Amino acid sequence: MLSFNNGNDAVADVSLNVLIVDDELSNLLLLKAILSSAGHHAIMARDGSDAVAAFEREQPDMVLMDVMMPGMDGYEATRQIKARAGERFVPVIFLTALDDERALARCVECGGDDFLTKPYSRVILLAKIDALARTSKLHSTVKMQRDELVYHQDRIQKEQEVAQRVFANIMHSSSLSEPCIKYLLSPMALFNGDLLLAARKPSGGMRVMLGDFTGHGLSAAIGAIPVADIFYRMTAKGFSIGEIVTEVNRKLRMILPPGLFCAACLIDLDPGEHQISAWNGGVPDVLVLGDGGDIHQRFISRHLPLGVVGDDKFDIALEYSEFNRGDCIYLYTDGVIEAWNPRGEMFGQARLEQFLLSNKNAENRFDGIRNGLLDFIGDQSHSDDIALIELTCDGRASRDFDVAGQGKLRQPSVSAMEWQVTLEFGPDTLRNFDPLPLLIHMLMEIQGLRGHREHLYTIIAELFSNALDHGLLGLDSALKATPHGFAEYYQLRAREIAALQQGRIRIDLAHAPYGMGGKLVIRVEDSGPGFDYQSKSYVLNESTIASGRGIALVGSLCDTIQFSGRGNIAEAVYSWRH
Amino acid sequence: MALTAQTSADGATVTMSVIGRFDFNIHHDFRQAYENAGDSIKNYVIDMKGTEYMDSSALGMLLLLRDHVGGEKSNIRIINSSKDIKKILEIANFNKLFNID
Repeated sequence: MLSFNNGNDAVADVSLNVLIVDDELSNLLLLKAILSSAGHHAIMARDGSDAVAAFEREQPDMVLMDVMMPGMDGYEATRQIKARAGERFVPVIFLTALDDERALARCVECGGDDFLTKPYSRVILLAKIDALARTSKLHSTVKMQRDELVYHQDRIQKEQEVAQRVFANIMHSSSLSEPCIKYLLSPMALFNGDLLLAARKPSGGMRVMLGDFTGHGLSAAIGAIPVADIFYRMTAKGFSIGEIVTEVNRKLRMILPPGLFCAACLIDLDPGEHQISAWNGGVPDVLVLGDGGDIHQRFISRHLPLGVVGDDKFDIALEYSEFNRGDCIYLYTDGVIEAWNPRGEMFGQARLEQFLLSNKNAENRFDGIRNGLLDFIGDQSHSDDIALIELTCDGRASRDFDVAGQGKLRQPSVSAMEWQVTLEFGPDTLRNFDPLPLLIHMLMEIQGLRGHREHLYTIIAELFSNALDHGLLGLDSALKATPHGFAEYYQLRAREIAALQQGRIRIDLAHAPYGMGGKLVIRVEDSGPGFDYQSKSYVLNESTIASGRGIALVGSLCDTIQFSGRGNIAEAVYSWRH
Repeated sequence: MALTAQTSADGATVTMSVIGRFDFNIHHDFRQAYENAGDSIKNYVIDMKGTEYMDSSALGMLLLLRDHVGGEKSNIRIINSSKDIKKILEIANFNKLFNID
C-alpha cells in the first residue's frame, strides 16, 4: 500500500510555484518541506479567501487545497480560483482527511483535478504534481499552437480579402455590367481559378473571355493577373483573339509549372458583320440559342488549354458563326456540369441543355437556369466552382460604351493627321525579321485607326507576303491548290527566304484627313520581275482558286486595289470614318 | 491503394491503373509511380478501367507525367476510359498530346 519512501528523489525538471492551502500551520510546513525537497517553491495560505487573494497576487502554477477550513472552504476557493484562472490551466489537487466517495466526488465537481487522502505519501504527492505539471505544459502548448493557428488563419483571411479587392480592381470591367451580359460567378470564384473578362473592342464589338485555371487558391489567382492584363490591354489596342490567345499562352507557359494551365474560351461579337468568332481551348461546349429557343450552334473545344504547348504547336484557328439580334450565347465552366447535389448526382450536360431548351422565353432563361442549378446543388460549399454566362447578341454596334482602359471613343480627341512614311527592307532584314508587327504598331498610334487594326493587318500582311513570296521569291501559288502542295509551298518558302541574297521591298504609307475620318494609302513595291496583272481577275468568290484569294480578300476590305509598273507595285486605298 | 503501377516483363512499359477518383489526392502516389518506374521504361500506359471520375488536377498530373518523360518525345497511352472521362479528355483536347484509345 502506501510506502513512505525517504529515498533521494530527483529534483523536478521544472521548478513550480505551488500555492498550498491549509488551516493547520504544521500541515503547511510539512508540505512546504516536501515541495522544497523536490525543487518547488511554496506559497502558503491559511483559508479559502486567503487562497483566492494569494492566487491573484502570485499567479501560482498549481494549488494543493485542504477541504475543511474555517470561513471559505476548499470547494468554494477552488471554484473561485478556477474561474479566475480562465483559459489558463492551473491544476488543483485536494488533500483531504475525508474519504467518503461523495466528498471526493465533490472535489472533482467544483473543478479539482485530482485528490489525495491524508495521510498522503510524499512520493505519490510528488508524482501527482509531476503528472499534472506535464498535463499543464501540454495544455499550454496546445493553447499556444491554437492561438497561433487562429492568428494565422485570421491573417490569411484578411490577406485574402485584401487580395480579393486588388484582383477585383485588376479584373474590373465596366463591360460586365452591360445589359447584354448576365452571369453567375461566386464571389470567391477567382480563388477557385475562374475568370470572367469582358471588354468593348475599339470597333464597337463585344469581347468576352471565360477562363478556368487548374488548381485552386493562390496559384490559380496569380495566373489570372497577367491574363486579365493582356486581355484588356490588347483588346483596347485592337488586337484580334488569335493574337491575344497567342500572347496569353506564351505568358502562362512561361510562368506556370507544367501541371497548371488555363482552359479558356474567347468570344467576339461583331454587330456590324453579325458575326460571332470563337476560340475554345478546354471549355465545355459554348451554346448559341436562336430566337426559337433552339441550339443552332455549338463552339466545341478545338484547342488545348492555354499554357500547355509552345508557339509551334499552338493553334489560333477561330470558328465563326452568324448571329441574329436576340440570339443568346451560353458559356460555362466544367464546374457547372460537374456540380453535385446532396444525393451524389451530377448536374450534367444533358440537364443543362434541358434547362436551356425548356425556357423558350429568352428574357427569363438565364434566371431559370441559374435558379435550377442553385436548387439542384442545394446549400453546399462547393457551389463555389461555378461560372455561367449569358451573352445576348443585342446587335448594337455600340461605340458609346467605354472601351477597356480607353474611355469613350465617341469623340476622338485627335483629328486625322496628314503624314507619310516610307520603309525599305533589304535581304538581310527580310531573312531575319518580320516587319508586320512594327508597321501595325506604328499605324495604331493614329487614334482613329485603332478600330481598324484587324482589317489593316490583313491588308498589309497580304500585300507584303504577295511582294515577298511572288515578287522576290518567285513562288507559284498554284502549288497551294492541294493539301500536299500547301505544306510543300511553305517548306519551299522557308528555304527560299533563308537563301535570299538580293531584292528589296519598299512600303509607303500615306495618311490624310478625308471627310469625317481619314484615308490611308498603302503602296508596296518589290524589286522582282512583276506579273501580268491585266489578264487576271480578282473577285472573292467560292470558285476562287488558292492563288488569287489573298488579293481578292484585300480588295474586299479596301476601297480600291491597283497594280502598276510591271506588276511589282500594289496600291491599296483604305478610308475610314469616326 | 487507388493507384497501382506494373512494369511489363521486358521492362519497357509501365501500366499505371487509377482506381476510383483520379484527383489531387493521388498526386503523390502518381508522381512516385512514374519517378520510380526506372530508366528502361519507353512506354507509359494509364489504365482508366477502374477510374470513376477525373478532375482538372488529374489533367495537370498527366501533363506533369508527359513533361517528365520527355514532352514531345513521350509515348503515353490512355486506355479504357469511360464515356465521361473521354469527354473530359476531349474537351481539354488531350488527344493532341496523348494516345487515347
